[in-house]
Amino acid sequence: MGQSPSAALDRESSFSHRFGFLSSSSLGSSDGFSDEILANRDFTAEIPDECLAYVFQFLGPGDRNRCSLVCKRWLCVDGWSRYRLSLDAQSEIEASLPSIFMRFDSITKLTLRCSRRSISLNDGALVAISVRCQNLTRLKLRGCREISDKGMSTFAKNSKNLRKLSCGSCTFGAKALNAVLDYCSNLEELSVKRLRGIHDGAEAIGPGTAASSLKTICLKELVNGQSFEPLVVGAKNLKALKIIHCLGDWDRVLQLIGNRNRNGKENLHLNNYNSNGNNDALMEIHLERLQVSDIGLSAISKCAKIENLHIVKTPDCSNYGLVSVAEHCKLLKKLHVDGWRTNRIGDEGLVAVAKHCPNLEELVLVGVNATHLSLGAIASNCSKLERLALCGSGTIGNTEIACIAAKCMALKKLCIKGCPISDIAIEALGSGCPSLVKIKLRKCRGVSCEAGEWLREQRGSLVINMDACEVDGGFEASVSNGGIHEVGVDYPQVVSQVVDRDASTSSNGRLALLRSKFGLFASRNFVACTFRRWSNNEDSFNGNL
Amino acid sequence: MGSTSTKIKLRTSDQKVFEVEKAVAVHVIHVHSVSGDILSKILDYCKKHVNSAAGKEDISPEELYEWDANFVKVDQNTLFDLILAANCLKIESLLDLTCQTEIRTTFNIKNDYTIEAEEAVRRENKWAFDMLGV
Repeated sequence: MGQSPSAALDRESSFSHRFGFLSSSSLGSSDGFSDEILANRDFTAEIPDECLAYVFQFLGPGDRNRCSLVCKRWLCVDGWSRYRLSLDAQSEIEASLPSIFMRFDSITKLTLRCSRRSISLNDGALVAISVRCQNLTRLKLRGCREISDKGMSTFAKNSKNLRKLSCGSCTFGAKALNAVLDYCSNLEELSVKRLRGIHDGAEAIGPGTAASSLKTICLKELVNGQSFEPLVVGAKNLKALKIIHCLGDWDRVLQLIGNRNRNGKENLHLNNYNSNGNNDALMEIHLERLQVSDIGLSAISKCAKIENLHIVKTPDCSNYGLVSVAEHCKLLKKLHVDGWRTNRIGDEGLVAVAKHCPNLEELVLVGVNATHLSLGAIASNCSKLERLALCGSGTIGNTEIACIAAKCMALKKLCIKGCPISDIAIEALGSGCPSLVKIKLRKCRGVSCEAGEWLREQRGSLVINMDACEVDGGFEASVSNGGIHEVGVDYPQVVSQVVDRDASTSSNGRLALLRSKFGLFASRNFVACTFRRWSNNEDSFNGNL
Repeated sequence: MGSTSTKIKLRTSDQKVFEVEKAVAVHVIHVHSVSGDILSKILDYCKKHVNSAAGKEDISPEELYEWDANFVKVDQNTLFDLILAANCLKIESLLDLTCQTEIRTTFNIKNDYTIEAEEAVRRENKWAFDMLGV
């Protein structure tokens, strides 16, 4: 710490700074100083508040809390410079809310999280927060079970600047969401997960005044997914749509989306009209564990701007649908397919992708029986392919890997999991894929440790992530090495959460249907979920490989 | 099982062994990285705070506050060791106390908090989650 805190310090101050620092460290306490000006000088007083706030930006909330206890000035600076706050949203917090939001008066991003064991804050508390946080742009609610439609409506009225709402495990319903969509006309992102208040016969949820502002919609684990149809179809400028494990007729919804810009009248009203005719802004679609078939995929093929497509565990989708998408969505950059080992998507669909999608950068195949026929085509034709993951497929063997090694020039990251490859495949990788930076191998029992070592020596700069070698070498061994989180813990947990004890009786039948439809394949899912975290990242591969 | 009389043994990095009551040593801990001197100070701190909370010692909040202030009147090296040990042993209150003191010492900042004001801020801080995005 040899530098003076501020460039504007003159020589006199910098001298006293050094002098003062020495004397304070030998005394070791800030109490009981003599009144010598030099020794008493607070060095951080030279730093303007804005600079102090800038330093605090580098600290996490725990450290910031500690800083706030150093002195009153630091309390104050930390208070007005905190934009993000995550609160334990128990009912007992209500008494402290006025002082909390007087102290933190610049919050724009707020998380209210309540555990299952506690009673959450209620409508009154939420409204009080909305009155105090005039600049709120993002709200995340988790487990706030005491908040009702009424509370959310009043909150929405007070939160005109809201751009992002994410709610999970709450119990309000359609009225609440409609209120948000009606009052928050700048809403860009809406994420709804496990909302238990939407019963049979609930009102439809429409885009409201947010119809043109909505850019991302994510719906997860909703029994009454159908209620969201007007919302999804009506959000005309939607860029990303993610529907995961929701009941509903999604073929129909996708058809409505696909057809929505065919109407000549509507075209005239859109700002980004181009001569192609289909103006749909949709760039990203995730469909997971849904009632969707090739009809839905054909509808998606009408959205020519699609760059990112996930088709995960949708057993009614087949090669036919994938071919349709590939032929029309030539801008495709990222494709994730989890065939759930139903063998309905395979070489035929992937060859079409190879043929029509030259911009492909990322490909993830789980439980898909692809062979060197399609993988070779993709490797040759998709010259920008940088990230490839092959998982849980009995047809991906040494031939396939050799093919990839020989032809994938741009490949940077490769992951192979639970495939019947052997050391021969490793040998091929020793000299192929010239751009390869990282490789991950999991549960490939045919690959020996020695082969891994050999590869490390062959390609010094390559980062290799392999199962550690165990004497048993079985499934359990690699689980304990790779980490429990890698195994399919995700899926069974999700199913049991849908079939919840406190679900309303009217939706029990629906829940049972959901479970039986998608619970069948649970046991086969041991590799698919190991991928979910990986493939769900924003930048899918980065940092996780 | 009388919990007040249950004893726990701790062995430090310089092979000293301490025996403490279980109530004082709240967590299961590794003390490999903590020396005997530091551990002894920490045990003093924990004992003091546990006893005052349990009402075994007749001490007012102000007196405890002062005791804490004196506790951290040590040289920089010792203070630093206390921080590391408190962090390793996960003693939140001691960590807070030592960090604040360290910051104040390093930058020569006067502590202008009253006991009540500081307590109020601490209570508020408890409502805010420590981990970003969790």
